[in-house]
Amino acid sequence: MEVFIAQVINGLSLGSIYVLLVTGFNLLLLVAMIIHFSFPIVVVFSMYIAWIVLGLTGNNLFLGISAGIVSAILLNIITAPMFQHIMKKRGEVDINSTMVLSMGLGMIITDFLSHSINKGFPIAFPDALTGRAEGAFLKIGIISMSRGAFLALIVGIIFVLGLFWILYKTKQGRAFRAIAEDPNGAKLVGLPILKTGFQSYALTGFLGGSTAILMAILLGSASPGLGDQLGHKVLAVSIIAGLGNLKGGLIVGLSLGILEALVQGYWTGTWSNAVAFVIMLIAILVKPKGLFGMKL
Amino acid sequence: MEQNKSGESYILEVKNLSVSYGHVNALKGVDIKVKAGEIVVLIGANGAGKTSLLETILGVNEIKNGSIHFQGREISGDSADKIVRAGIFLVPEGRGVFSSMTVTDNLLLGAHHNLKGAKSKMDYVFSSFPILKDRKNQVAGTLSGGERQMLAIARALMSSPKMILVDEPSIGLAPKIVNDIFDILKNLNSEGYSILLSEQNVYKALKCAHRGYVMETGNIVLGAASEDLLNNPEIRKAYLGA
Ligand SMILES: Nc1ncnc2c1ncn2[C@@H]1O[C@H](COP(=O)(O)OP(=O)(O)O)[C@@H](O)[C@H]1O
Ligand SMILES: [Mg+2]
Repeated sequence: MEVFIAQVINGLSLGSIYVLLVTGFNLLLLVAMIIHFSFPIVVVFSMYIAWIVLGLTGNNLFLGISAGIVSAILLNIITAPMFQHIMKKRGEVDINSTMVLSMGLGMIITDFLSHSINKGFPIAFPDALTGRAEGAFLKIGIISMSRGAFLALIVGIIFVLGLFWILYKTKQGRAFRAIAEDPNGAKLVGLPILKTGFQSYALTGFLGGSTAILMAILLGSASPGLGDQLGHKVLAVSIIAGLGNLKGGLIVGLSLGILEALVQGYWTGTWSNAVAFVIMLIAILVKPKGLFGMKL
Repeated sequence: MEQNKSGESYILEVKNLSVSYGHVNALKGVDIKVKAGEIVVLIGANGAGKTSLLETILGVNEIKNGSIHFQGREISGDSADKIVRAGIFLVPEGRGVFSSMTVTDNLLLGAHHNLKGAKSKMDYVFSSFPILKDRKNQVAGTLSGGERQMLAIARALMSSPKMILVDEPSIGLAPKIVNDIFDILKNLNSEGYSILLSEQNVYKALKCAHRGYVMETGNIVLGAASEDLLNNPEIRKAYLGA
């Protein structure tokens, strides 16, 4: 029972990260109307930026964390005009060209990380950030958590709650959802489409940057290939939940985190990806439009 | 006519308006005017250009030629969100409510540009449409056709518009509900809202409106007071089946 509880807690940390990534991806899909499956690669890029700044400043946590978050926002906002240029010309979702743009962006970042930073070797985040060296911060029976893992869990959950509060309780969130359901109808009620699309870039950039920091704390390391791996998972979660389904992404993202943690706890960590994908494959065979229905 | 003074007496003036979609010429030099406090109806068969005209006034379509003035100020070329903020709101063809969102959320979308007064506007809207109050936490997809039409009209009111454009509100509704909707529009008009309506239900629409324009394939072919149109033999033959 204790193993179970411990792994569910670990799974919630991991799951919050998946939820943040999937919701960012879904928001870009629904509101900005781009398939940005390289979004997780942007997030990994921000992990690297945080790592570099931590190294340069002698592990100044404030500067390192800020650099990670700001870089993701900037990267999203800088690439926004390119995506919006395609959108404006076509006037509606043009999945093909946004996908090519996203893919290109992802490839450039991954190449850059594997040639130019740390000679392409995986990077390790300092204990000052992860809190690994301090030993257990919280210990109940066999359940023990480092300070970093505990923080990541709390912050992850707060961010997921905050994100869904924005989506369902604020003016911007309402506009996001309206554009998501019917872009043309949203225009007819006078919602500013491009401006709202831009806000979704900024919000997802902030989410991406924060997720980068959470991942740095939780995983303790990053490699150039991490973005691709996460990208596949995020795309899979989004499709299995139902492409663009925000609440579905919440449930499937958390479930995937918990599932992976349970496989690690009861069996072996090296197989957790494979098990996750087999289960996702079955889900998609049974429900091709996603467990909770597509919203696109 | 009195071109200079017209800005004061007409809330909306559309002059020589042309719009095309690719090589389809949807509007070919349309002229219409609406006085403040009037209900004016656009009559025309499917494809005549009614929706194109209303959506162009709202700022959604690119204008090829001509101009649109609202309250004496040129709005041609402005974006839809700017025109909505200036005081025009559209009740779209097919209602255009967001089915996955609650009645309350749909209403608040109407007040997107001015949420400060939303609470009192919501009270006002709920007192006029008690059915919507009962259903305020339901998603709009669960409403009947008539209720959706009411929601679309109520959403327009949430924006505190000076002028409401209503695109074929009677489509797909039972005759009794159609009467209710026209009564609602007449009441709103008596509260001071100017209304530009498009309809194929010609008899009921003309009974409701002060004046009407007849549209055919992108042109206005006739404009007159409602009684005159109702008594016009050609109109009776073409649109009233008499
Ligand atoms: N998005 C569009 N693309 C191409 N043609 C269109 C489009 N919308 C309308 N049209 C054409 O413009 C003309 C006017 O249509 P519309 O304004 O919808 O008429 P109505 O509302 O009176 O039925 C029709 O010939 C229609 O086929
Ligand atoms: Mg129409």
